[in-house]
Amino acid sequence: MMPKALMIIRIAWRSIWRSKRRTLISIFSIVIGTGLPTFTVCLGWGFYNGLIDDVARLMAGHVTYEHVEYRNSPSIDLWVDDIQAINSALNNNDEVLSTKQMVLLQGVAHTAKGAVGVSLMGIEPSKEISVSFLPDSIVSGEYLSQGDGRRAIIGNKLAERLNIKVGKKFVFTSNDINGELVEDLFRVKGIFKTGSSAFDSYVVQSDINFAREVVGLNSNATSQLGIIVKNPDNHDKILERWQNELASNDGVFLSWRQIMPDIATYIYMDRGSLVIIMIMLVILVQFTMFSTILMSVLERKREFASLLAIGTKHVELNLQIFFETLIFGLIACPIGSFLGVGALKWVEGYDISKLIEANPEDMSIGGFTMDPIITPFFSAPLILQISIIIFLLVLILGIVPMFLVSRISIVDELRA
Amino acid sequence: MSTVKSNEIVLLQNIKKDYGQGNVVTEALRGVDLKLVKGDFTVMMGPSGSGKSTLLNIIGGLDRATSGKTIINGQDIGILSNKALSLMRLNNIGFVFQNYNLIPVLTAYENAEYVLMLQGINPLQRREKVMSLLQEIGLDGLENRFPRELSGGQQQRVAIARAVASDPQLVLADEITANVDSETAQSLLELMVSLNQNNKTTFLFSTHDPAVIKFAKRVIILKDGNISNEKLSSVEIEESTHK
Repeated sequence: MMPKALMIIRIAWRSIWRSKRRTLISIFSIVIGTGLPTFTVCLGWGFYNGLIDDVARLMAGHVTYEHVEYRNSPSIDLWVDDIQAINSALNNNDEVLSTKQMVLLQGVAHTAKGAVGVSLMGIEPSKEISVSFLPDSIVSGEYLSQGDGRRAIIGNKLAERLNIKVGKKFVFTSNDINGELVEDLFRVKGIFKTGSSAFDSYVVQSDINFAREVVGLNSNATSQLGIIVKNPDNHDKILERWQNELASNDGVFLSWRQIMPDIATYIYMDRGSLVIIMIMLVILVQFTMFSTILMSVLERKREFASLLAIGTKHVELNLQIFFETLIFGLIACPIGSFLGVGALKWVEGYDISKLIEANPEDMSIGGFTMDPIITPFFSAPLILQISIIIFLLVLILGIVPMFLVSRISIVDELRA
Repeated sequence: MSTVKSNEIVLLQNIKKDYGQGNVVTEALRGVDLKLVKGDFTVMMGPSGSGKSTLLNIIGGLDRATSGKTIINGQDIGILSNKALSLMRLNNIGFVFQNYNLIPVLTAYENAEYVLMLQGINPLQRREKVMSLLQEIGLDGLENRFPRELSGGQQQRVAIARAVASDPQLVLADEITANVDSETAQSLLELMVSLNQNNKTTFLFSTHDPAVIKFAKRVIILKDGNISNEKLSSVEIEESTHK
């Protein structure tokens, strides 16, 4: 059997190089068919992952622990208790990179210029410095430090609207946990600019302990506990486990998709459209490939007929066509993957806003700006998956020529 | 009903072959009866459209008769499946075609070796067989050449080597001298005669070429789909092929 298979492989190998030009066109089409999806998908996935990670780190993590009713009515009287024990357990978990406690208050910021509705985020400065990009977005003054008390940082748009600068004061009015109106004075320590106009004109950050004091929360309670996980792709698996092992009766662990459904929906839709475009592209490329394979088989019908006449079985001819397509796939798919990865390496780190001449602030999704710096998602399983899909499609292309060969009339072809 | 004798390689009984369907039916063969015994060197002649190639195709299991019995080496091939027919062709019949029909991507050696490979012969035996065969047919030293690097006569020799490599009971040769000059045709026929004499291989030729007749042990004239006369003078034969 082996010598026969080797002979068939030898015939297949030499047959595909009989017409070098056609073979190179076929290989080129598969290379493009593999390289382009690799490039586009890794690029797109890189943008999505970057966006998810940035938002998760800036806001409430990849997984958020909060009151079970908080999603429906995000108010300060819906807090979660016993947070230090849960926080400690999570920080000892191998899957967790970091946690961040947040007290979230909705209220109004006043200055002599006027009043603006804001969201005050009470955060742990030391944690934010290690996980969030916000400390790097300070354009004036400084970021918060532990024990900063009534000092706060605000967005540049909010600063404009309130007409305040670093060192100036504003009054924040909100409700405490009993529903009573409370007011406190804050002093601007820094001004940040993320590029997201929604975030920059709405968010105030202060030390979590002072925010707790303002609304009357004890140190073992918080609005949200954000959890940054090491592998964001796997966080769905641990949600249920944490819910069973750690959550109190009124607490719930939620995915970032539930916390930020607009971003999740955008990514879902965009990924879907990207996949559809890729499928269409692959189909187009496959047609090129299909026509060259078909042509190469049809013009050899007489040759196949003479092989059948001297005792070759149909299955052996089909095996030859299979090996021809297999060789195409084995040569072209890895080249396509390498070229795709090479192109990604080439564009890695490039600022895409320069290319499309866009203002970074315009590149926002759900109020959050996408990082314009290209950071492809280099995932060996993903790249291999794309390559294998194209490879299998190439093999499937051989089915029609195989079918045609199985219907060859030896007499008609030899007579022709 | 006749019985098949042990030395009968081919036994055709009332073979008919119709082409077309409905009202337009062409009768290519109209009840051919034929026997070929082991060691025959038979030439089948006749004008174009007389049914020579059709008859060769039916004997070779490349085509099926509309009616009648085709018994090759004691086996009724009319009832065989396509797969079984492939196997029968592989083990019993060698083909030499007018246009050589060699595998262009295989060398002369590999072309001759191909059938042995399909039969599962071990590499050492294959090499011995093919090399001695190539030497016998005068292609010694040309074994690594591809068909495109060989002349028409040399290609036809490779085709003959391929046809006889597996020691078939019967070799069917369709107009093998049509595409070569008369000198090459002469040497090809001498080669086949020697293979017939040395190996007792049965040969059945179809040809237009009257020059082939002098090599034949037996001549069959096919006319209007039937064997018209098995014993004709060379003049009559020449006339017959040009009608």
